[in-house]
Amino acid sequence: MNGIRDETPTDLLRSWKIVHIPDKPPVSPHLQETVSMLAASIEPKCANLVVRHAALPPVKLNQTAPLENLRHVKRIRRTSLDGGKTQLSVILCIASGDGESNNLPKDVLELVCKYAALTKEEWEEQCRLWPTSFHPPAYNIDGITGFSEEDSLLVYNFMKIAVALAKSGIGVVNAAVIVDPSTCQVIASARDQVQSRNVALNFTSEETSTAEQLEAATMDETTEIKNDQSFLVGCSADESKLPYHGVACLNPLGWLEPQLHSSSDSWHPLHHAAIVAIEKSAARDKHLFPLNVDFSSKDHKVSSLVGSPLKRLKTNTNVKDEVNMNEHIDGFHCDATRPYLCTGYDIYFVWEPCIMCAMAVVHQRIKRVFFAFPNPNEGALGSKHRLQGEKSLNHHYAVFRVLLPELILKDDTDAALTVSPLM
Amino acid sequence: MAVSSEETMPDNVMFMKLALQQAKLALDNLEVPVGCVIVEDQAVIASGRNRPTQTRNATSHAEMEAIDKLLEQWQKIGLTRGEIYLKFSQCTLYVTCEPCIMCAAALSIIGIKEVFYGCANDKFGGCGSILSLHTCSSGKRTSDGGSKRKEFKCTGGILALEAINLLRSFYEQGNPNGIVPLSRKPTSLAKEPFH
Repeated sequence: MNGIRDETPTDLLRSWKIVHIPDKPPVSPHLQETVSMLAASIEPKCANLVVRHAALPPVKLNQTAPLENLRHVKRIRRTSLDGGKTQLSVILCIASGDGESNNLPKDVLELVCKYAALTKEEWEEQCRLWPTSFHPPAYNIDGITGFSEEDSLLVYNFMKIAVALAKSGIGVVNAAVIVDPSTCQVIASARDQVQSRNVALNFTSEETSTAEQLEAATMDETTEIKNDQSFLVGCSADESKLPYHGVACLNPLGWLEPQLHSSSDSWHPLHHAAIVAIEKSAARDKHLFPLNVDFSSKDHKVSSLVGSPLKRLKTNTNVKDEVNMNEHIDGFHCDATRPYLCTGYDIYFVWEPCIMCAMAVVHQRIKRVFFAFPNPNEGALGSKHRLQGEKSLNHHYAVFRVLLPELILKDDTDAALTVSPLM
Repeated sequence: MAVSSEETMPDNVMFMKLALQQAKLALDNLEVPVGCVIVEDQAVIASGRNRPTQTRNATSHAEMEAIDKLLEQWQKIGLTRGEIYLKFSQCTLYVTCEPCIMCAAALSIIGIKEVFYGCANDKFGGCGSILSLHTCSSGKRTSDGGSKRKEFKCTGGILALEAINLLRSFYEQGNPNGIVPLSRKPTSLAKEPFH
């Protein structure tokens, strides 16, 4: 269904890949900045003594000659000499003026890397000069140090749902899928609704989750399929100019494009997929937990989840089964399982979000962001801005790109637009 | 445009006072007190206030609410996209706190003419504090024909103290939904006193 061919897990693991997008653009290892340091070699004879008291010199040195802003640099280097002997060197201080260093023997001068490594590759390169420590950037978010095959397949599965959603209407747009990774549950999903409130056609997950979230509120979306006709006309005319012109985050002023059938349909220049998905997740939250709860003791609630039977329910890759399972889980929702906003949740985008959407996702406290295709002009997670690296923000998420064949979009356009009985 | 002889209060200050009223309303509703008004031809045509607690949607910022109201209103009377864009390009926003990165981007997408704000937003301000979304992407066409967002004029510091005092009284009474910040590294803790 949805025009995506069924691939075996082995196919997926071979042809798809998850890449972490760090807080700062990675520096190519040989271009890393260095600082000159003065280091004292320790006689191999004394090695034993120094090793035994290894904690001592650094502690003292860090007090008398602290290495401000070089905390990643290890104070002691251990080198294996010919004949199995070991030599230790200790950094004394940053080498000051040139005059002074000229008077010093060459072997006390050492170069160390100025900035902490962001990737394992950078770190390995740094250690050739002088050992440094490597802490994978940002907290302990699952995936930064790599994904297991099982977790990769879960990620690919949700990305497939996002891609299918992006292709499910007429014209490819961006899609956002909010997922609770602890239960593998789709919390909310949406397509761009900038041009019109076009519903996903033939997309079970979208329709079911909408019905389930907002059964009280009458959703006008289901009545708006007819408006997609106007979307089709507007879109196909533009698509010759710019591929994926309808993707709101790629083209934020796209809402101004003339619509040939601008009927009374409701359009909204800011209803990018992420904004709508967040709105839906908020509506779902209100529906499931009608009472406002004081979140001051939220940390306890979250920790009480660990070990609960809701944690980590396995699901297969079928969208329909997933939705059924979600309904099943929903029956068990109680306040103890209610997260603060989208804390702990993942969001999947087909295209890297623009800065508005990326910040909306910060506000809503999403934990991990996955996107498939970069957004060179407006992308806020590495292309134009790098919001995950803005230290001042009160919340930070980890960002991953899922590398997948772009053909997946072509397939869909063909499947959605050309329903030729001959083919 | 008649200036009252009694009070020669600049328009800026007058409109910001109306925005502050919205912020107080937010405070009364246990929301982070930020409010705004949108002005066209010296008349307030929309107002908005922060509502994330009420909506459970952390993107329900004052600016977004005011924009939503205008869009709905203008679509109802049948204005076209072009007409709406033109109208926004004649509107000025007064907001008690510097628009966040999300709102600043939104304001440039709809093409607002000008923004006046009260206090700066050191954590996520999008009009100069953290990013400068009001200037850095002018309405130029990109190489592949896509169009970028629009620039707008932005001035801060209008009744900033009033805005800060409102925020302060909110944080003093305690944010019922606030999160305790994640434990920071001891090094930064030592340098940075709690606010």
